[in-house]
Amino acid sequence: MAADNPIDPIHQFEISKIAEMQIAGIDISFTNSSLFMVFAIAATMILFILGLSKRSIIPNRMQMLSELSYNFVANMLRDQVGDQGRAYFPFIFSLFMFIFFCNFIGLIPYTFTVTSHLIVTFAFAGLIFLAVTIIGFMKNGLGYLRIFYPSGIPIFLAPLIVPIEIISYLSKPISLSVRLCANMLAGHSILKIFAGFIVMLGFLGFAPLIFLVVLYALETLIAALQAYIFTILTCIYLNDALHPDH
Amino acid sequence: MKFFLKSFIFVLPLSGAFAEGQKSAGLPQMDISTFPSQLFWLIITFTALYLFMWKFVIPRLGTTIEERKDKISNDINDAENLNSEASKILENYEEKMNSASLESNEIVSNSKATMNEYLDKLKKDNEIKINAMITKSEKKIHQQKQQSEQEIKKATIDTIKSIVSKYVETIPTDDEISKKLN
Repeated sequence: MAADNPIDPIHQFEISKIAEMQIAGIDISFTNSSLFMVFAIAATMILFILGLSKRSIIPNRMQMLSELSYNFVANMLRDQVGDQGRAYFPFIFSLFMFIFFCNFIGLIPYTFTVTSHLIVTFAFAGLIFLAVTIIGFMKNGLGYLRIFYPSGIPIFLAPLIVPIEIISYLSKPISLSVRLCANMLAGHSILKIFAGFIVMLGFLGFAPLIFLVVLYALETLIAALQAYIFTILTCIYLNDALHPDH
Repeated sequence: MKFFLKSFIFVLPLSGAFAEGQKSAGLPQMDISTFPSQLFWLIITFTALYLFMWKFVIPRLGTTIEERKDKISNDINDAENLNSEASKILENYEEKMNSASLESNEIVSNSKATMNEYLDKLKKDNEIKINAMITKSEKKIHQQKQQSEQEIKKATIDTIKSIVSKYVETIPTDDEISKKLN
């Protein structure tokens, strides 16, 4: 498969089985995608196990890193949601670390990017959408429906505003999942294409190489940024659910 | 690491790829046959991560950060206490300095006063003594003046007597001479 077209930019996204597994006739084989999910959580766990191994008042580097990520996510949640968001912190923190490490591990050549698959990001986005909707109705009852009719809008605009709000609400999981997945997919494809140019051009390959280096830096930024965007949007949706009055 | 991963990617497809239609379907993202496996492993790994974060990381990190916050605020409190203590000591010191300088001023003025008193007394005593001595010496001078006047008178009388005795037989008595002299 790789021999057919060595610079096929899509090849890196293919899923191949490592161990065949089936439950009730459904194929749930352990694949390279599963392997890199395990790598991502292993990287997170190693970071925190090392960071927490010697908890001291004056932190060492690993402790500093883990505290930095903790404070980063905690501040994000507190700024967006306030103290009410405290209960959802474990989920938000895990979400951020998982996406962050999936994106970053995917930047290493010959690896697989878990978050480049729409089903993975959509699973997160769908879960968040469902959870936010349930939390919204649990905390506010039917008052949660107010988010479809923002206060201060004249009544004659309601037929226009309410459908728009409903559509924008329903499209949240789609935009959330597609944003992350498309960023990863496009970025990694472009990297692969330019890497292919280097091979094809031979001696002249240094020009795309320079471009590749710059692009790689940009992709590193995007990997971190998309993890941040995904997490902060989750916080914003959560805030909407907890405080539907805009 | 790289070789390890490389071998994974290139060897594993031989162990059985997903549905044959993967190539013709275009993007591997659209291959529905891989979805159950991805979802299943996503749930397992993410649940594991969630439990790890929830039960292990967050309580520990939270307490560590809280402890540090407490320690810092305690240290700041201690420093503030020590600072106020130090300023109190400084205040005390300044107060003592002030009272000491007041006291010393008083002592200086007191001793000045006693010195002046003593000097005044000394002056007065000396004046009295001097006055006494002046009157005494005035008396003495007066006495000597009188004495010398008398002596001069007597000498004059004697001289006159001796002169007169050379020219006149009857020598006048002293009383007569002094009568004439006056």
